[in-house]
Amino acid sequence: MLHNKSFVRKTKSGKITKNVREHYLRDDIYCGVPACKSCDSSAARLSACPSTILILDTNVVLNQIDLIENPAIDDVVVLSIVLQEVRNKNMAVYNRVRALCSNSARKFFVFSNEHHKDTFVQDMAGESKNDRNDRAIRVAAQWYQNHLGGVAKVLLITNDRENKRKAMEMGISAETIETYVKTLGQQDLLDLLVRPPSEDVVMEEVEDLRPSKRKVIYAEHKPMSEITSGLHRGIYHQGKLRVNRYNPFEAYVGSESIGDEIIIYDRTNMNRAFDGDIVAVELLPQEQWQEENSLSLADEEHEEEDVHLVPGSADDAPRTANPGQGSGANADLPSSRPSGRVVGIIKRNWHSYCGSLEPMPMPAGDGGVAHALFVSKDRRIPKIRIQTRQLGNLVSKRIVVTVDSWDRMSRYPSGHYVRTIGEIGDRDTESEVVLIENDIDARPFSSQVLACLPPLPWSVSSEDLANPIRQDLRHIRAFSVDPPGCKDIDDALHCTALPNGNFEVGVHIADVTNFVHPGTPLDDEASQRGTSVYLVERRIDMLPKPLTEDICSLRADVERLAFSVIWEMTPEAEIISTRYTKSIIKSCAALSYIEAQARMDDSRLVDPLTTDLRNMNALAKIMRQRRIERGALTLASAEVKFQIDTETHDPLDIGMYQIREANQMVEEFMLAANVSVAEKILKHFPVCSLLRRHPTPTKEMLEPLLRTAAAVGVNLDVSTSRALADSLDRAVGDDPYFNKLIRILATRCMTQAVYFCSGDLSPPEYHHYGLAAPLYTHFTSPIRRYADVIVHRLLAASLGIYKLPTVFQDAAQLTSIADNLNYRHRNAQMASRSSVELHTLVYFRKRPTDTEARIVKIRSNGFIVFVPKYGIEGPVYLTERSEKGEGEWFMDEQQQQIRKMDGSVTYGVLQKVQIHLEVVEPQPNRPKLQLTLI
Amino acid sequence: MTGLSVGEKLFIQGGIAQDLRTDGRKRLTYRPIYVETGVIPQANGSARVRLGGTDVIASVKAEIGRPSPMQPDKGKVAIYVSCSPTAAPMFEGRGDEELSAELSIALQRCLLGGKSGAGAGIDLSSLVVVEGKVCWDLYIDGLVVSSDGNLLDALGAAVKAALSNTGIPRVQVAADTTGEDQPEVDISDEEFLQFDTSNLPVIVTLTKVGRHYIVDATSEEESQMSSAVSISINRRGHTCGLSKRGGAGLDPSVILDMISVAKHVSEQLMNKLDSEISAAEAIEDDS
Amino acid sequence: MEYVSPEGLRIDGRRPMEMRKLHAEMGVVAKADGSAVFVMGNTKVIAAVYGPREVQNRSQQMSDQALVRCEYSMANFSTGDRMRKGKGDRRSTEISLVVRQTMEACILTHLMPRSQIDIYVQVLQADGGTRCACINAATLALADAAIPMRDLVTSCSAGYLNSTPLLDLNYVEDSAGGPDVTVGILPKMDKVTLLQMDSKLPIDTFDNVMQLAIEGCKAVATYIREVLLENTKQLEYHRGV
Repeated sequence: MLHNKSFVRKTKSGKITKNVREHYLRDDIYCGVPACKSCDSSAARLSACPSTILILDTNVVLNQIDLIENPAIDDVVVLSIVLQEVRNKNMAVYNRVRALCSNSARKFFVFSNEHHKDTFVQDMAGESKNDRNDRAIRVAAQWYQNHLGGVAKVLLITNDRENKRKAMEMGISAETIETYVKTLGQQDLLDLLVRPPSEDVVMEEVEDLRPSKRKVIYAEHKPMSEITSGLHRGIYHQGKLRVNRYNPFEAYVGSESIGDEIIIYDRTNMNRAFDGDIVAVELLPQEQWQEENSLSLADEEHEEEDVHLVPGSADDAPRTANPGQGSGANADLPSSRPSGRVVGIIKRNWHSYCGSLEPMPMPAGDGGVAHALFVSKDRRIPKIRIQTRQLGNLVSKRIVVTVDSWDRMSRYPSGHYVRTIGEIGDRDTESEVVLIENDIDARPFSSQVLACLPPLPWSVSSEDLANPIRQDLRHIRAFSVDPPGCKDIDDALHCTALPNGNFEVGVHIADVTNFVHPGTPLDDEASQRGTSVYLVERRIDMLPKPLTEDICSLRADVERLAFSVIWEMTPEAEIISTRYTKSIIKSCAALSYIEAQARMDDSRLVDPLTTDLRNMNALAKIMRQRRIERGALTLASAEVKFQIDTETHDPLDIGMYQIREANQMVEEFMLAANVSVAEKILKHFPVCSLLRRHPTPTKEMLEPLLRTAAAVGVNLDVSTSRALADSLDRAVGDDPYFNKLIRILATRCMTQAVYFCSGDLSPPEYHHYGLAAPLYTHFTSPIRRYADVIVHRLLAASLGIYKLPTVFQDAAQLTSIADNLNYRHRNAQMASRSSVELHTLVYFRKRPTDTEARIVKIRSNGFIVFVPKYGIEGPVYLTERSEKGEGEWFMDEQQQQIRKMDGSVTYGVLQKVQIHLEVVEPQPNRPKLQLTLI
Repeated sequence: MTGLSVGEKLFIQGGIAQDLRTDGRKRLTYRPIYVETGVIPQANGSARVRLGGTDVIASVKAEIGRPSPMQPDKGKVAIYVSCSPTAAPMFEGRGDEELSAELSIALQRCLLGGKSGAGAGIDLSSLVVVEGKVCWDLYIDGLVVSSDGNLLDALGAAVKAALSNTGIPRVQVAADTTGEDQPEVDISDEEFLQFDTSNLPVIVTLTKVGRHYIVDATSEEESQMSSAVSISINRRGHTCGLSKRGGAGLDPSVILDMISVAKHVSEQLMNKLDSEISAAEAIEDDS
Repeated sequence: MEYVSPEGLRIDGRRPMEMRKLHAEMGVVAKADGSAVFVMGNTKVIAAVYGPREVQNRSQQMSDQALVRCEYSMANFSTGDRMRKGKGDRRSTEISLVVRQTMEACILTHLMPRSQIDIYVQVLQADGGTRCACINAATLALADAAIPMRDLVTSCSAGYLNSTPLLDLNYVEDSAGGPDVTVGILPKMDKVTLLQMDSKLPIDTFDNVMQLAIEGCKAVATYIREVLLENTKQLEYHRGV
């Protein structure tokens, strides 16, 4: 079995060390062709009788992964050396190839050539690593050719001219990917090809028509060695570039070396960096640290701001350009925030983007190759040049495009077409775009995942009843309160009056971890998805439907497994004792918020359930009051609710989401349960608990709120959350909506709460600002949030019911899980918002409307309004977009007002205005919502 | 090692006087010498030398360092020897320190020349990468695994073999080496710098027992010595270093006589060693 | 980091249950009473045994059994990074102790009262599993010195990475931070004499990993018996029996 041959490999690290690794060569590595007589074919993956076997060179895999993923390419042998090289160069591509290799529908076989006794090649003196690996690929190809004899043709696909020549000399058939694809005779495959740089010359010629574009546009990137030494000497700074979502000409690089954010203005300074790239930045001289004075900079470069949903938090809101410098009195002083320019890109964050082609006239001689500019939906991404043979077909479509390169002679990066999603404006297409944009996996669950489900129909078994860890609570009058039509019922409640005058209150949460076991494909999938995603017309589940809607869901009148938190409370809502147990419950009613509210309000009803509801509500009110006294913020959101036509899925009506007492009651007990659980798990697992924190907003973040409030004569105290809560309470204007408006503005100043691993931070940082709670976690929605699944496992382990899964011992992995949850959570929210925006557009397409709006921000040429009724926000222009406001209008930043020069008209912040809402199509297929002043 | 009986002592002394030593050798005959190179793969160069029951390993490790301000145009070399307790229980704990230090200093003296680096067996200026800033530091480690006399000659041979086995990666210095800081260096994985070891001397130790002196004494013979002189001699017959050990005084004329004898013996040893080293290298390349 | 590829190969090309290449040789130190070199892949250890002999330090002499001592040392060049540290650092002291206790347990010390046995283990190259190699080398050296023993002691380690139990970790795998279970057994008596683990492991996984390590020890024992047999044949041959 073991071929005992060891050899020496030398690698380099910062300090020069010689590393020696053993390398065993084997004779039990097989070729993967089922028809092969000499090999063990049990693990064979290729077709039974393949006509041609493809061996791909590394450069082909790295550059043409989109093409390789196309099912037209099959019967591929992936050499381990190729995988290794791809892995070193691009992890994302590596993962995609690996996925192909494990996809049972595709015929990709991994051949460990590096450990095969006949295909391993020794380093030769004076040979570069690359040459050596190319040789290894050729040797493996030759081995296959000899090994298979006449059974199948072996074809080496390489775009490396030298490698191809040498292969031909050795008698191996070799072709470039272009030639191979052409032999397949499928036109659309050609669009997927990434053009080699040599063909780029042809593309440049097209741009030659505009001579101004032919010059060098961007500074050259510094070589890596120079960057490393520059970083070392502190003249460059490394960090991740984040482009302002609302102004793609502005980006930030968080740099640890100077402990501040470096601002990068305009694309020349960004120097071809994309959002998410790791870049090296050089600071500009201080006198060039420009003050960004026009708030409407985005308008200057033919990019425009769209009407969008009201931001729910600071993470969604446009960044204020320079907090702390609002007064304008010292506007001529250089900004205190460092600005810089990108000198090199350390790691690219290129992936594929959704969008559409910029409308352009059809080139003469249709059907040939056309060059087009692709505009991403994500505004942070620059336009991308692509080449296509199907322009006529693509102009009206949403398509996916990948970036390949960005030459310094070219204003825009070049890329290639990957696939078509559908017609622009089509609701299904746009919904899919929303999903892709937010990296949401909406594919059906795989068979491996579904295999983890318990057999259906499922019901509580006698073993469950006999299980000593599980308490039988079926006799308890538990019920659930949820939005109407809710099918994934996570939580149920009960409230029993005790003889001593106290109450026993229980929160029962679906026992998801009874079905989702650590390390199973089901668990991995859920962990990856992180959360269910709620779009207007559909829900993308984290767990398969039978679990979500049936087995776990705490539906009425069926026995279900639960994880319960049970308190004994005094009538003053003081918690006397808390206990946690796995349980079996039988919910007696699945109420909607409206039903629950109606029961409580209807004084004629005195049935036990209604009494429970009223008792709970009384307790909840006390708890809520106490929480507010502690400094919890009652923030407001401008959430809207659609009424959807059940047939066409078109929105019929739209309105603000109404919050009732019943909602608040349920919320209160969920909060209490989460807090209790957080305390329990942290006590047992101080370093590996998953908690949720809400960072205290900094002064800078609250600055726009203070400025706006000051302009309307309200003084807010933001020193503590308590002080802020109080001053928010006092901020009552003469109109009833005023207070809510201020609260909405306050909410959007704050960042979102995030998950974290308790070992990563110190206890004071665990604080949840919004809830004014020192500890918080998520326990109550395990069906739709993976964080809760983790917390369930922690709680079960702290009770000694189950062992803690091994992943909790790995701090790094736990942190990466928390990061993924935050990422997924955030994407899910963005997707929901995008979905609402999309439906808003569909709604107004047929219904131009006049309505009332509030001014929330003043600009030099107009203002931003908020439309409470529809929860949207957008610009209203007082002047033509092309000209600036200076001529006719004057903006007073101090007063937050915009005045007509002759003084006849003044608009101030928070002022009420009447506006007209209408969908316009300035360009074909590009509908957008426009707001105009009446 | 337990003491020898009077009879044994007389037998050894008598044998030497009659030019027929206890193991059958003549006074100026070495035991068979075996060389293996590349025995420590992690090192940049290494060799194992066996001389009868004596078994030593030498390794060369190269690290990037800074030249000393006194000699900005030269690299640095340091030699450390340690004696494993496997060789003798007396080396247990700190028991080897005295002998290890003695051997280290003697090797340094015989192979590396004076403090200024003049007369060193290897060209120290070939170790400089950027003058005054970057150079290679060579650490030569010797380990005595098994000891049966004449450790110094064996170690000298092992160091020579290890150095000729050494390959140092070629380095490129980053383009802009402006000013004060240590420049960044890049290591090439493909090319190696080989040393010219032809000028490296061999060490011949002459051990005086009674009125005669012998080469390559075993530990029994060493226990009977009155004094010993170690002479390092290069290929051209130049004496590169010399150290005398042992208590008894020697007549200066005897020393001169010993040097000329050592010179004669060193030629045979040098040739034998060179052929052993090239044979060992050939075997290593084969495997 | 991927320590086991989806094709089931470890970084060095072994499968999870495979050991590195073993090599052993006896009688490598001329002056010692017994000696052996033991090689597991790139880990190479020399052991030398002196004794049984007169007790050097009278105060340590025991009237009913032999005194067993052990010293572990690492050559400066044994690791990738050159280090120059004295003997007697904590790690060396600990390994010395482990080897001594393990070997003492199988030496029939009561047969050699008032005497002393010294075991010196010298690491020439370290690439993971040094303490296993030390024990294996010491066993052979003791046998070479003809010291009466109850049984052989053999040792092997196993770890758990990428949810796979791995036999005989090399340095790269050992530094991955996963658990490393070192087991020493008396193969004939089928007893575990040494068991060490760092890092954490759930108990049922631990059982699997330990079983794997025990299998490894048995394989080492088989190899050591072959070496002993071959050595005895050579001795017979040299004596002309």
